[in-house]
Amino acid sequence: MDGTQDSRGQRAVEKFVPKAERPPPMPVSGAIPWMRRNLFSTVVDSIVTIVVSGMLGVVIWNIVEWGIVDAVWTADNRRECMDQSMDGACWAGPALWFDNFIYGLYPETERWRVNLGAVVLALWLAPLFFARVTAKIPTAASVVLTYPLFASYLFYGGEKGIFWTAISALGLTMFIMALANAALELSGGRSIGKVMEDRFGLTSFRRKAIPVIVLWIAVAVVWSGVELEIVRTVKWGGLFVTLVISGIGITFALPAGIMLALGRRSRLPLIKYVCVVFIEVFRSVPLITVLFMATTMVPLFLPEGVTFDKLLRAIVAVCLFAAAYMAEVVRGGLQSVPKGQPEAAAALGLDYWRTTSLIVMPQALKLMIPNILSNFIGLFKDTTLVAIIGLFDLLGMVKAMSNDTNWIGLVDEPYLIAAFIYFCGCFAMSRYAKSLEQRLSTERR
Amino acid sequence: MSTSAPPRSQRSQFSRLVSDPKARGLFAQAVVGAILIFSIWYLYSQTVYNMEKRGLTAGFDFLWTTAGFDIGFHMIDYSPTDTFSRVFLVGIINTLFVSAIAIVLATLLGFIVGIARLSSNWLIARIAATYVEFIRNTPLLLQILVWYGGVFTLLPPPRQSLEFGFGAFALNNRALLLPAPIDEGLFWITVLAFVAGVILTFGIARRARLLREATGEAPKWGWKALTLIVVLPGVVYLLTGLPLSWDVPALSGFNFQGGFAVTPPFLALVLALTIYTSTFIAEIVRAGILSVGKGQTEAAHSLGLPATRTLKLVIIPQAMRAIIPPLISQYLNIVKNSSLGVAIAYPDLVAVWMQTSLNQAGRAIEIVATTMLFYMTVSLTISSLLNIYNRRVQLKER
Repeated sequence: MDGTQDSRGQRAVEKFVPKAERPPPMPVSGAIPWMRRNLFSTVVDSIVTIVVSGMLGVVIWNIVEWGIVDAVWTADNRRECMDQSMDGACWAGPALWFDNFIYGLYPETERWRVNLGAVVLALWLAPLFFARVTAKIPTAASVVLTYPLFASYLFYGGEKGIFWTAISALGLTMFIMALANAALELSGGRSIGKVMEDRFGLTSFRRKAIPVIVLWIAVAVVWSGVELEIVRTVKWGGLFVTLVISGIGITFALPAGIMLALGRRSRLPLIKYVCVVFIEVFRSVPLITVLFMATTMVPLFLPEGVTFDKLLRAIVAVCLFAAAYMAEVVRGGLQSVPKGQPEAAAALGLDYWRTTSLIVMPQALKLMIPNILSNFIGLFKDTTLVAIIGLFDLLGMVKAMSNDTNWIGLVDEPYLIAAFIYFCGCFAMSRYAKSLEQRLSTERR
Repeated sequence: MSTSAPPRSQRSQFSRLVSDPKARGLFAQAVVGAILIFSIWYLYSQTVYNMEKRGLTAGFDFLWTTAGFDIGFHMIDYSPTDTFSRVFLVGIINTLFVSAIAIVLATLLGFIVGIARLSSNWLIARIAATYVEFIRNTPLLLQILVWYGGVFTLLPPPRQSLEFGFGAFALNNRALLLPAPIDEGLFWITVLAFVAGVILTFGIARRARLLREATGEAPKWGWKALTLIVVLPGVVYLLTGLPLSWDVPALSGFNFQGGFAVTPPFLALVLALTIYTSTFIAEIVRAGILSVGKGQTEAAHSLGLPATRTLKLVIIPQAMRAIIPPLISQYLNIVKNSSLGVAIAYPDLVAVWMQTSLNQAGRAIEIVATTMLFYMTVSLTISSLLNIYNRRVQLKER
């Protein structure tokens, strides 16, 4: 026994006996330690984990059983669905109606126009996501300003007349320019403006405009031969209308919001108070009251014979509403620009408009991009309200389906499909906003 | 005017005027004012003309005429023979009632979910995060319609009601039935005792705070508060001879009689508003708690404060400063979003006033204006309260 004393009270020579080895330290990585740390760290924690995962399992199983195992995938009406399976989902209905969810009652033979519009928009916007394309602001501006001109004719159709031909051809021209620019920059690395300068010696803005105008005229001549069948807006519907309303809403809201926000910060009392009143009124009332106002009061304001499309009225209401909200977003961005910036600009002798457009706004807008996107998500969700005033957006089409004679009473399945579509759109945008926010904030540091 | 250049002095005066910011400001304002006046005049005259043509009249006299329609859910007495002004009142009360209940429930649920998102248990945190992402990214109106059309109208009919709480509660496709309290005359004394208890508790809390600030002693007053708020009214209730009785709903024939019936639209609206807003509140709570720096917790621990007191005295007071302003704007959103009840025929202000009354009375301008006025009043009241709060919090800061 080491450490004990022998009978003579002297310490015996201690013999070295190694202690028992300690157990190896707990592994810190791998599945089991992870679970021990995050799921079973205490007794209470373990009980919670077990109970909750049991409940979750039951819920998930029920959903799977209802939605997949017992579900019916092909049937012509609700009765057939119920004959096949009483307590499963009936996906046959939404499957048959899916095209209507997307296009509304847009005639089937004309739906390619909606698709074409979507493709054009996607191609037009695509260069913005390439780092090599430098002419981003002209591209973005051309989309915002001229895509609606082209798309409105594409979707609505009918007789064009000279004016409408010229206007919609301008959109098409700008689309061609943007594509050409993207192609040039992605292959050669120079923007179309630079190429015009270097190759053809078109240095001034006026000279550059000449080939564009020539192209415009050429496009207009070709375009005037095309006449599309008219599709009245009562037939528009589904996700298409949702995107039309929210798209126009956001494109209008941004410039209008900027003007309102600048007006609100103005030193001129009249302008300031007009803007304050507009912003505060529209921000303090619910959107549905604005929509009701547009449907009931606008006809009283218009001169005789002028009628306003129902869709157009809804769009006007959404635009006014969105502008007020955007104004507050912009104001937030303007406030975050340090005061030294406009002061420095003033010291350099820049006037109000130059200071605003060259110094303050670019910095503010960059900071605002995530907020603008989240505002757009809100608008995208809010457009469902137009279903209340009788338009057939995505939600309106879903409601229409559960009132259809073949599918009457089928409520949950179409709503789930719609919820899924909205979720995908909003979630993707919110993720994009988050990643942008991170990217922009690291740039600022 | 001739094409030749004006005399030099005149010209420089003009150019001086152009470059003078004051003059330019006045000019811009004059232009805006002129446009404003013109458009108001134009809209006014156009509206007057249109209304004359259609034989419409203006004015608020319709408020005192009989409405003639029934309202499915009202908190105050209402019958179809009542006037439009009564309808307006019923709508306002319905809006505020549904909003108040949704505000309380959404705050509770939001705080629970927000704290759950910060849970150290991975499963709980993930479930909370999934809940938030899924609910937040789908439109509120869709959720309202799902709750209404997909849940409450698919419940069994009254004869096969789901009953719980030993038959005191019943849920069917027409209503949720709750037992209704009936006052037999002396209940006001209990209410009075309760109010007195609350006021006295405030006094005690204040004195305790002053004492603590003056001397550093922290007297315990929790049990006093409990006595005053719970025991005192309870004793008074017993002494006055149990003045409340409960009217329990009972099935008779095809429907329930008695009790307090809450209609499916109300339930659907409250649930949807609660769940939708709770996700936003959860994010606010989470951000608020995360906004308190880690150093605060560490400093509190190094001073020897245990975890619960750290939370109560250090984290929560600082987090509340970041939580309350956006929380209040969520409350405002609840009031505004309650107007979506119109889609499922919940008789809120928009439904009974902007829809039914507008169709019946036809006074579009008056009705739209009063509705907007109501919402603006609510909004301005809440935002001014918020400003007062912000000012108080900021004073403490520095």
